[in-house]
Amino acid sequence: MVYRMAYQFAGNHHDAEDISQDVFIKVYRSLDRFRYDAQLTSWLYRIVMNACIDHKRRQSPAGWAPFTEEAEVQMVNTPADGPGPEDQAYGGQLGKVLESEIARLPPGQRLVFTMRHYEGLKLSEIASALGLAEGTVKRQLHAAVHRLRGALTSARVTTGGRA
Amino acid sequence: MIDCARLESADVELYFYGELDPLDRARADAHLRGCAPCRQRLEDLHAIRRALASQPAVDAPPAGDWSGFMRRLDGAVGMDEASSVQKENTAGTSRRWSARQVLALAAMLALVTIGVGVVMAARFRAAPVPAGLAGKTPGAPAGAPVQQASTGADRSLREGSAEHLERSKLVVLGLATRDPRQTRAEDWQYERRLAGTLLSDTRLYRQAALDRGVSDVERVMRDLETVLLEVSMSDTTDRDALERVQRLIAKRDLVVKMQVATSGAAGI
Repeated sequence: MVYRMAYQFAGNHHDAEDISQDVFIKVYRSLDRFRYDAQLTSWLYRIVMNACIDHKRRQSPAGWAPFTEEAEVQMVNTPADGPGPEDQAYGGQLGKVLESEIARLPPGQRLVFTMRHYEGLKLSEIASALGLAEGTVKRQLHAAVHRLRGALTSARVTTGGRA
Repeated sequence: MIDCARLESADVELYFYGELDPLDRARADAHLRGCAPCRQRLEDLHAIRRALASQPAVDAPPAGDWSGFMRRLDGAVGMDEASSVQKENTAGTSRRWSARQVLALAAMLALVTIGVGVVMAARFRAAPVPAGLAGKTPGAPAGAPVQQASTGADRSLREGSAEHLERSKLVVLGLATRDPRQTRAEDWQYERRLAGTLLSDTRLYRQAALDRGVSDVERVMRDLETVLLEVSMSDTTDRDALERVQRLIAKRDLVVKMQVATSGAAGI
């Protein structure tokens, strides 16, 4: 689970290994403080999510914060680098197009989408793990799905429905 | 397309992901029956799920080789331990042994979350420390009960390791001899689970052997750990997983190494 989440978030093995390593180190250091009456998986998810955020923060300009209102606006309006979905849709691989679009999602959206879609966490659990309001998590998910739906539509148009 | 106020909200996503309470879900059902744009949005979500489900899950480094990752992790943990020992020099060995237990639990945590379940964590917590390892932390203060002649401790480590390798043969031989063309993922579910339960002890033995400088035991445990990790973390939907595990076993020559190790504990 740790590596899968890290890879979903980072989109490449090198960064996924970095994040996974950070997670294990954090677990190693803080297991003494883990309360065994707490939910083990929630605790681990929180560590993974924080490691993802920390990793992105280290790679980004100072002050990067994934869940501020300003960041949210920027997330929705700023496409990431790399080939767009139209370019890839010609390959007819809808799954690949969507994975590519997930990799282009702003980090906050990517994290929330990954947790909800792949890991099956409830929005309330994601909010709790990230220390956010549930409404913020909901908006992140909505924005992520909005982008993916756009990619889906583009792929269908580009490939004439073959994708 | 006809506008619908719900298109601007997250309602359809919440419906799709089962996040609505029963009353809101019933309302959404009623709305969906009469709203084509929202039905289309819902169908889009199903299409996204189907398309993403068709992609292979990436849950391991390339070629399933964890050895590089394990080396990096060892290095990082080693630095952490060294720093810890430096800071708590006067606290004797209790901190280091505790750290080792914690490390094993950390490995267990990974397994817990990949499907073996919380039961495994409880099992580990309840399990005794591997025979021959308890209290034999290097660097223990003189006169402490854990301080033994190195030869006795090494023999104990070798004997415990040999027993552990015997148990691990069930997994390694079981997988090495399967025909991948006639084996479904669920056919080696038992080995996958067993690998998970063996992993933490393997790591403990490897750490102990590393600390004591018993390099032959350390090497075979390292290879075993890599294979067990690959087995326990393999995805049931990954049809190439068994062949990958078999290649790893062959590449590490693990069957022979384990055979040699268990044919005489002193000769590992």
